[in-house]
Parts: sequence; C-alpha cells; structure tokens
Amino acid sequence: MQCDDLGPRMLDYLAGTLPDDELTAIRAHLSQCEACRRELDATAELWGELGAVTAPRPESARMRARFDAALQGYIDGQQAPVARAATRATAWRLQPWMQLSGAAAVLVLGVALGRFAAQPPVTSPEIVELRQELRDTRQMVTLSLLTQQSASERLKGVNSSSQIEQPGSELVSALVDTLRRDPNVNVRLATVDALRRFGGREVVRRNVVEALPQQESPLVQIALIDFLLEAQGPEAATVLRRLAGDMMLDKAVRERAARGLQQVGL
Amino acid sequence: MQAVRDGDLTRLGVLFERHHRPLFDFLYRMTGDRGAAEDLVQDVFVRMLRYRSTYRDDGRFETWMFRIARNARADHFRKQGAAVYVPEDGMDWASEAPGPAHLFERARDMARLKRALETLREDRRELIVLVRYQGMTHEQVGAILGIDSGTVKVRFHRAIKELRDAFARVAEGE
Repeated sequence: MQCDDLGPRMLDYLAGTLPDDELTAIRAHLSQCEACRRELDATAELWGELGAVTAPRPESARMRARFDAALQGYIDGQQAPVARAATRATAWRLQPWMQLSGAAAVLVLGVALGRFAAQPPVTSPEIVELRQELRDTRQMVTLSLLTQQSASERLKGVNSSSQIEQPGSELVSALVDTLRRDPNVNVRLATVDALRRFGGREVVRRNVVEALPQQESPLVQIALIDFLLEAQGPEAATVLRRLAGDMMLDKAVRERAARGLQQVGL
Repeated sequence: MQAVRDGDLTRLGVLFERHHRPLFDFLYRMTGDRGAAEDLVQDVFVRMLRYRSTYRDDGRFETWMFRIARNARADHFRKQGAAVYVPEDGMDWASEAPGPAHLFERARDMARLKRALETLREDRRELIVLVRYQGMTHEQVGAILGIDSGTVKVRFHRAIKELRDAFARVAEGE
C-alpha cells in the first residue's frame, strides 16, 4: 500500500466498508505514515463538518398541490405542456417585453380569428389551430399577470383566467397557488370565484380545504365555504362541521358554516 | 414505477411523496435557489410521466430519477444562460447566534465551508452532494453518472481534496 492508494479508499475506510484485506493493508500503512494519518484526520473532520451544512425543507404541501394539479391535467387528457410551468412564468416575469409581445400576439390572432369567423361557418383546421394558439397565448399572458408585483395586475390575471376555455393544468395550478399564497384579500377572493368552475375536480377541492385554515380573512373563509357548498364534494359536510364548531373563527364564518350544514341536509 | 409505466398514473403520487424531499435537497444544493429547486422537482416528475416508457425494471428507480434530475438541471442552466451556482440566501448553518467562543468558531467554519463548496466546480460539488447528502455508494453514483465505481472513487477523492484546499483559501482570504 502506497500513499496514493489510500486516497480513493479513505472514505470507505472511515465508513468501515472495506474488505478485510484492504483494511489490514491500510492500517499497516497508517502505522508508518504520519502524512497519511494527518490527511485521514483532516478528511474525517471535513466529512463531519459537511453534515452541518443543511438545506431548507421543501414546502411539501404546496409542491404536492402543484404536482397533483399537473398530474390531474395529464390524466384528464389535457396533454398541454404541463412542464416548465414555473420556469416559463419566471421568464415572463423577468422579461416584460414578452408580455407586450404576448398581448400583440393575442391581438393579431384575435383579428385573424375574427376574419375567419366572419366567413361562412366551415370547420376549418386553420380555425381550430388559431383557436388553440389564441388559447395558449391568453393562458401565457394570464400566467404572467399572476406573477406580477402589483395586486391589480394579479387581479387582472385571475379575471382573465375565466375567459379561457378549457384551461390547461398549468393555469389551474397557478390559481390554486394564488389562493394559497397571495397576500391580497381581493386577489384571493377573485381566485375563489375563478376556481368555481373547477369545483368538480377533487384535487382543487382538496386544495381549497387545505387553504381554509391558512386564511385569516373571514371574507375569504366565507367565499371558500360557498365554494365547497357549490362544488358538492363528499368532504363538504366534514369541513363545515369542523368550521361551525371552531370558536377561534369569526362568528359570521361559523354561522355561514352552520347554515351550509343545513343546506347539505345535516 | 412499473405500475406508472404500465398505465396507473396516479401511483406517481406515491413516488412524489417518497422522493420529492431528497430530490429537492439535491437540486437545492446544486442550484442554491429554493424556487428553482422546487420548479425542477416539478419538472422531474412531469418528465417521469412523459418518459415513463423508458423506465426499465432492471435498474434502480433512484438512478433513473437522478439521471432525469441532472438533465432537468442542465436544461435549466442552459435556459438561464449560464451554468453557475447562484446562492440565494445561503444554506443553513449549525448556529448563527452569538454564544461561547467555540460556537462562534463553529459558525465561522461552517460559513467558510459553505463558501468553499460554492467555489467548487459543479461536477465536483455534485459528487460530494450525491455521496455526502444523498448517502449514495460509489456504485450508485457511478450508475447515475455513467462511469465505473473506481473512477467515482478517484474523482471523489479529488473533489474532497479540492474542497479542503478551497476551505483553506477561504480562511486565508478573510
């Protein structure tokens, strides 16, 4: 065993995972070589200190919500590009010129679509394609608006989401994220409204239920209760019963939950 | 994963639950950016869904997953225009609070070690992250990187040596 042979085996030696013959050879070498002993000690110390460099914990609930929305979209057969949702949104946020281009594209596509629409109604592949492009562009503009600093811009984004027919899972995921994280009450309220048409999706309802305890505004809490009642999901009764009995909540919220329980016949 | 590949897509949720944390840890340590790491985790699972037919039973799932993660990270850096590590707000240390001298020294050493890690070449840092923080064997790392375990050992030793040198340089520079 030479000094150069020790290096690649050092961590296995420290971990105790070397076969017996190599272990014996290394021990014999270390007993005679002070330089290798020092290097081994330094490596062992560094290895220990590396363990103190921790990474933050992921926000699992939020990540899971995004994942579920993307998966649901895929399963629903909406095989729109579900990947790169956040990175695309980030790119848009960083590059305002893209937003302008997007708006211009919507205008051009809208005019083109209008011209087609003015012609006798025939099922043209061009029209289908243009509609698809218009929808995709609108969706990108909406996703971009949802990431803006200004609450009024985000509000515009939420409202414009309602105009998109058959939105992709990216958009639903972004709306769910807005509901859970947006600091502005008005934006969250508008988001609850925008999510209503997705009340039939179990994953959206689950996110609404999870978002309820995070909401401090009674207005948003009541809007979420209304959402659950309208969606008529199987979880509504359990959630409403819990809310009705939660003395930490605003009285109006508890009363709305109690009325909701009567509505669902409990 | 076999079930997902064979059509039961909802089972991917189980895999997400089981693996998103180590995946996030790896991607955070490689990007230094929490938001990017979260986005990349999402990207990795979407890629799994799309490329599920490429999964083979004979390999370990983690190997396949980390290969996808490496590709996703490389694509991410390409799009960003530079393959650089940009620490967001630093990793967490054992202690930042004032206290006895040894605690202060330890916090200082941790800060130096963090900076030393940041200065390492990406492929060196990746080796250290996979072995030290993901607890992988040289064989597992070799399977992910597509090299034999002997080469991993040699490169890993070099990475540790470079980290020690970088640590010393950071300390000298203060």
